[in-house]
Amino acid sequence: MTIRKMLIRMPVWIMLIVTAALMLFPIVIAMLGSFKTNLELTTGATVFPSKWQFQNYIDAWNKADFSGFTFNSLYVAVFVTVGTLLVSAMAAYAVDRVAFRGKKLFILLQSFTLFISIGAVVLKPQFNLMVSIGLHKSLWGVIIILISAHATAFFMIIGFFRGIPKDLDEAALIDGCNFYSTFWRIILPLLRPALAVVALFTFRNAWNEYILPLVFSLSRPDLQTLPVGLANLRYGAGAAVENQLMLAGACISILPLLVVYIFANRSFMQVTMGSVKG
Amino acid sequence: MQRNRIGAYLFSFPSFFLTMALGIYPVFWALRYMFYDYQGYGTPKFIGLENFARVMRDAEFWQSVANTFVYAGGKLIITLPLSLILAVILNRKLRGRHAFRAIFFLPTIFSASVMSIVFYIVFNSYNGIINQYLLKLNIVSGPVDWLGAAHAMLTIVIIAVWGAVGNYMLLFIAGLQSIPEDVYEAASLDGVNPAQRLWYITIPMLGPVLQMIVMLAITTSLKGYESIMVLTEGGPFGKTEVMYLYLYKLFFPLTTSGTSVQNIGYGSAVGFTTAVIVGLVTWLYFWMSKKLNNVY
Repeated sequence: MTIRKMLIRMPVWIMLIVTAALMLFPIVIAMLGSFKTNLELTTGATVFPSKWQFQNYIDAWNKADFSGFTFNSLYVAVFVTVGTLLVSAMAAYAVDRVAFRGKKLFILLQSFTLFISIGAVVLKPQFNLMVSIGLHKSLWGVIIILISAHATAFFMIIGFFRGIPKDLDEAALIDGCNFYSTFWRIILPLLRPALAVVALFTFRNAWNEYILPLVFSLSRPDLQTLPVGLANLRYGAGAAVENQLMLAGACISILPLLVVYIFANRSFMQVTMGSVKG
Repeated sequence: MQRNRIGAYLFSFPSFFLTMALGIYPVFWALRYMFYDYQGYGTPKFIGLENFARVMRDAEFWQSVANTFVYAGGKLIITLPLSLILAVILNRKLRGRHAFRAIFFLPTIFSASVMSIVFYIVFNSYNGIINQYLLKLNIVSGPVDWLGAAHAMLTIVIIAVWGAVGNYMLLFIAGLQSIPEDVYEAASLDGVNPAQRLWYITIPMLGPVLQMIVMLAITTSLKGYESIMVLTEGGPFGKTEVMYLYLYKLFFPLTTSGTSVQNIGYGSAVGFTTAVIVGLVTWLYFWMSKKLNNVY
């Protein structure tokens, strides 16, 4: 490479490196800060902790009840993921493989929920519905409402269905499979890589959801998930706000996603890029 | 075939039922209550368009609409050019481009509310991390009031940009990959410089994809309120109050700031108005981008 070419490329590299540093800054700050004492965190102006306080994580886990928050988050995210995959894969199978009356209307309804947004207004009737079936004091209220917002997952899976030839269904039919066993034995196994991508997307959204579990835990603090419990620490129930516990809690919330992301970032990005390519 | 049809109804029923009950019904619920005086208890009273008359007079609401446009505008003016430039750079065969893409996209996988807590500790006016560093390096003489009335909106916009750039970068990369390579080859034979290439080839060639991405960016930024709610609750003095946050407070008053009271009927009317505002902006954008297309 000639010197001239390197000089031209310099600004590009500087821009990339500076932007990358800014992107990583808050995450690195959170991780390093979670090992500092509250005093060092709020006045120290240090980069690395002068003494690594692993105790912060133990305190967050036990004293600030992050064990409970983590359990609730995991509970919600796992059931929402399984439910969303099942509901949308079944619907996508019906819509892609069978001509039935009302199919167009069904697709229209799904896209309607994607485009119409009246914000927090819908939370009230949704919550009232859960009251009427007695699920407003349970995480299942949150789970069901989150599963109901499966239009994105539905359209993603429909997209993947195009890659599975219909001849396969017919072959299965001849071999003695019916509509249902074709789905369970032929389609689902073939969809597995696609479902993994959709699962990643759904799990992340449910794990990160803030508003809905907040509304459901207003009268039931034991239902708080990680984002809700963490945000509540901001206004400290007791006297002093304990920043080091907040950062330890934030790290507990972001670490699982970070670990998955390091190994599967192509799958995360595939979801976003797919939405443009159609 | 007949049996398949029954199967299809069975298989699409859970999806249909959930969508109707929790996606469609709430919209009609709101369309009804926006004509009622209803505080969440007692009997709702029909009052016609009274709620909408109140929306028109509600200075606090229109201030939040104005704030929304400042917030969305600020976010878009930084995010879109930056993410397009990053996309153009990282769409080329550059060493380490996959690592850079992964780093830029990283912020989008985390919860907005969780990261807002981290940003609160970073930007906190009294003992935040940024202020500690700035003071230690003698860049400022006193702590900067990042979350105070003067700077809160700027801070909110910075955080929003941080969370959004990677997402739009990736959408742009996906769009760029559909531009055929030989267009650029022809241009390089004609001696086109990188800036001209971006302006005269890349942006026009992106065409409909660019239009879709910008529209997505506009609607998303108009609707965002989660991180603002965690970080400032719309304060100080309503400086960062955006319309969807104002709407949220009408249904679920925040205990910590405690200024608003629950008002379901009025809230529904405000919800309808915000949806109309978002719709109008989207329509206006489409109309304008069509006009621009005709100029080309």
